[in-house]
Amino acid sequence: MKAREIPHFGQSIRVRHADLWYGAFHALKDICIDLPSRTLTAFIGPSGCGKSTLLKCFNRMNDMVEKCRVSGEFLIDGVSIYGKIDVNALRKSVGMVFQKPNPFPMSIYDNIAYGPRTFGVRKRAELDAIVEDSLRRAAIWDEVADRLNRSALGLSGGQQQRICIARALAVKPSILLMDEPTAALDPISTEKIEELCLELRKTTTIVTVTHNLGQAARISDKTAFFLSGELVECGDTKQLFSAPRDERTRRYITGKFG
Amino acid sequence: MNKVRVKEFLGKLIFGGAALFCAASVIAIFAFLVFKGFPAFQKIGVWEFVFGDVWSPSRYDTYDAPLSGYYGIFTMIVGTIAATAGALLIGGILGYFTAVFLTFFCPKKLQGLFASVIHLLAGIPSVVYGFFGISFLLPLLSLVSPNNGSGLLAASLILGIMILPTVTALSQSALESVPQSYYDASSALGCSHAETVFRIMIPAARSGITASLILGVGRALGETMAIVMVAGNSPTYPKGLFHSFRVLTANIVMEMGYAGEVHEGALVATGVVLLFFVFLINLLFLLRSSKAIREKNKKTSVRKPIVRQALLPHTPTLGRLLSVLSAAFCSTILLLLLGFILFRGLPPLLSRRYLLFGKYEFGGAQITLLPSLIATLMAVLLSLGIAIPLGVMTAVFLHEYTKKNSLAVRLIRSAIDTLAGVPSIVYGLFGVVAFLPLFGGSSSVLAGSLTVSLMLLPTVVRTTEESLAAVPDGLREGSLALGAGKVRTILRLVLPSALSGIFSAVILSIGRVIGESAPFLWTMGSVMTAIPRSYLDSGTTLSVALYQLAGEGWHIEEAYATAVILILLVLSLNLSARAVIGHLKRKSTKGKEARSR
Ligand SMILES: Nc1ncnc2c1ncn2[C@@H]1O[C@H](COP(=O)(O)OP(=O)(O)O)[C@@H](O)[C@H]1O
Ligand SMILES: [Mg+2]
Repeated sequence: MKAREIPHFGQSIRVRHADLWYGAFHALKDICIDLPSRTLTAFIGPSGCGKSTLLKCFNRMNDMVEKCRVSGEFLIDGVSIYGKIDVNALRKSVGMVFQKPNPFPMSIYDNIAYGPRTFGVRKRAELDAIVEDSLRRAAIWDEVADRLNRSALGLSGGQQQRICIARALAVKPSILLMDEPTAALDPISTEKIEELCLELRKTTTIVTVTHNLGQAARISDKTAFFLSGELVECGDTKQLFSAPRDERTRRYITGKFG
Repeated sequence: MNKVRVKEFLGKLIFGGAALFCAASVIAIFAFLVFKGFPAFQKIGVWEFVFGDVWSPSRYDTYDAPLSGYYGIFTMIVGTIAATAGALLIGGILGYFTAVFLTFFCPKKLQGLFASVIHLLAGIPSVVYGFFGISFLLPLLSLVSPNNGSGLLAASLILGIMILPTVTALSQSALESVPQSYYDASSALGCSHAETVFRIMIPAARSGITASLILGVGRALGETMAIVMVAGNSPTYPKGLFHSFRVLTANIVMEMGYAGEVHEGALVATGVVLLFFVFLINLLFLLRSSKAIREKNKKTSVRKPIVRQALLPHTPTLGRLLSVLSAAFCSTILLLLLGFILFRGLPPLLSRRYLLFGKYEFGGAQITLLPSLIATLMAVLLSLGIAIPLGVMTAVFLHEYTKKNSLAVRLIRSAIDTLAGVPSIVYGLFGVVAFLPLFGGSSSVLAGSLTVSLMLLPTVVRTTEESLAAVPDGLREGSLALGAGKVRTILRLVLPSALSGIFSAVILSIGRVIGESAPFLWTMGSVMTAIPRSYLDSGTTLSVALYQLAGEGWHIEEAYATAVILILLVLSLNLSARAVIGHLKRKSTKGKEARSR
């Protein structure tokens, strides 16, 4: 069977005057931000400032949240993603990696093949190729090549997270969202994932949330600083860390906020 | 892409349809009871029916002619209350102390053993208890009683033993949820283990323990077969410990088979009165357990001083002694019951091959259980074939598709909870008035299985919902974030992860179909005829067969053999369930351990 034709979304994100409410709680306030194609942007800010919330707007994972209301414009290559689009196709183009590794309770192979199978890839040879390619790009092929049929739950946390990244890559997303992907990992795994991000950025637009300012400074092209639902400042990482324009940003990166 | 839309829509339709069907069947049951019972209330008069103390129905009474029989159930209401109180006195106290023993005084090594004892006691079918009553307890009591031993004492003892596992299990979980910090605080003040247990831990679990007693009462109210077998059943007041009396459930099951028009209505009305009591008890339970939850959530600092009296006034040392004795009593009862029945039943079972493989001769001396075995199997297959898919789909709809607090969901959920509290004999009643007419008025395996599948639904829905709730949200998010639809996420990820829960629902259901007899008696058939050749033939399940054999008194060895088979079936179900669930659990925790490393 031939894979179905799925509409494809582009690589650049543009947000204009976005607001979001959880019930009566105003979680995002008038956000305007541009994330150009094939850049790595880091979202930073104290806990509860709305980083994850904004991230989840890009693949509409907020749809599942009860009483969540969104307004404003979210465009991917000019296409409004809150308009009449196929949400599943959007999520195929906009992949996501979660803070806590969430491999499915099945074999490593089936984890990676889950997405392609969802979109109609059935041929073994084709799946094999996708699985190998995705695992290689996620820099974990060498560690698991000889045990693809074992349960993914038996891997270490760092390996599981890279499996989740490979799983996201297997559907060939043009944008990859990462919500504190290294928060639950040890330093060595963290370093591996950072290298991986730098490699992936060459082909994919990446947005990552991080609490680790060093990480943001090391790997990102652009950094956006949020505070209580507002985007305080967004700019080139070097510039933002060396010469922040906003006093609040300066205080945050020098450690004055929690 | 449209194909996916269609799939999603169909999924929602099918899951939602199942949930709707469950809700509709609850409504149907109550509609039938009202529809059939109302004319009887009207004809007899509510006051005369509830407070009249002469029950002497006439099968020729119709709604158009003046009544010639008497329809007063007050003796049975009193009988029901008396038997329930007796059961509470025996099973409540024993269950409470057994729970205390299991939680606080049981050596670690023996904990698994005692847990199995309670499990097994809970799993033994009610006819087997009744049969044990007839064959062991009544002869024993007749040594001191003026009659054959039947009456309030026998009924209370048997019922008490039957509600004991319920009380124990719930009290135990209430005791276990008392924070360890209470214990530490008390120990730090120099209190001994027993003092801490009885002065601090038990008072703190008070609401939960009361709730467990109330649930035990609910079980006792709805119990039918065991009590029918030892109560004597004449429609009189229980005038002493050894005086034949009748309970409400017994009234229904004894006369349902040959009732005329008004008589049938009066039996349905008896069911309505029974349900009234059951719902009253359920309401009490809800109030109590919500209080228990509130207390648990309260912050420790705002608690009133918890050094109060324990539920029953006794000193810690005495309490410890009683708890050990209760646990010993439970084990003794189990050993006695198993030992006695195996001792009497195994030899005939092993020596008489025709028991299992013979042909049935009408009026002949040889009894064979093969038809009952086959009928039981047929009933298990069909009723599970209906209840499991329907129940699982309903649970999926409730848990995966609906907002937690929407009105529709609350309605469906409370409908299902209501169904869970309905005594099994009421399902039998419903089967007789609703299903039998569909099949020309005669009983059949089909009618019996339909009846029982309704009874299984609430357990299946609840058990499945619990296991769905245990599936981490991360899995669902991970799948949706890959662009998979809801249906694929449910079928490919959520349900497989909830497999151990669904499996335990299957085992529980098989156990209930094998063990229940009241709902089958008049819907599926009560004569041990030849092997049913199709679902439209009637047949007896093993439990019903045991009831028949025990009641006739001619084939007492065959009765023992049947009881042995029932016990072995329950035992093996219990063991296999634990093995498989343990295996599934281990499989999933292995992953978790690795993850936390
Ligand atoms: N599902 C939800 N319902 C209600 N409030 C939410 C929900 N998710 C997040 N919030 C609130 O929105 C704010 C932003 O949350 P989030 O985006 O998770 O912050 P973070 O920047 O730490 O990722 C927080 O105050 C949080 O409490
Ligand atoms: Mg977050």
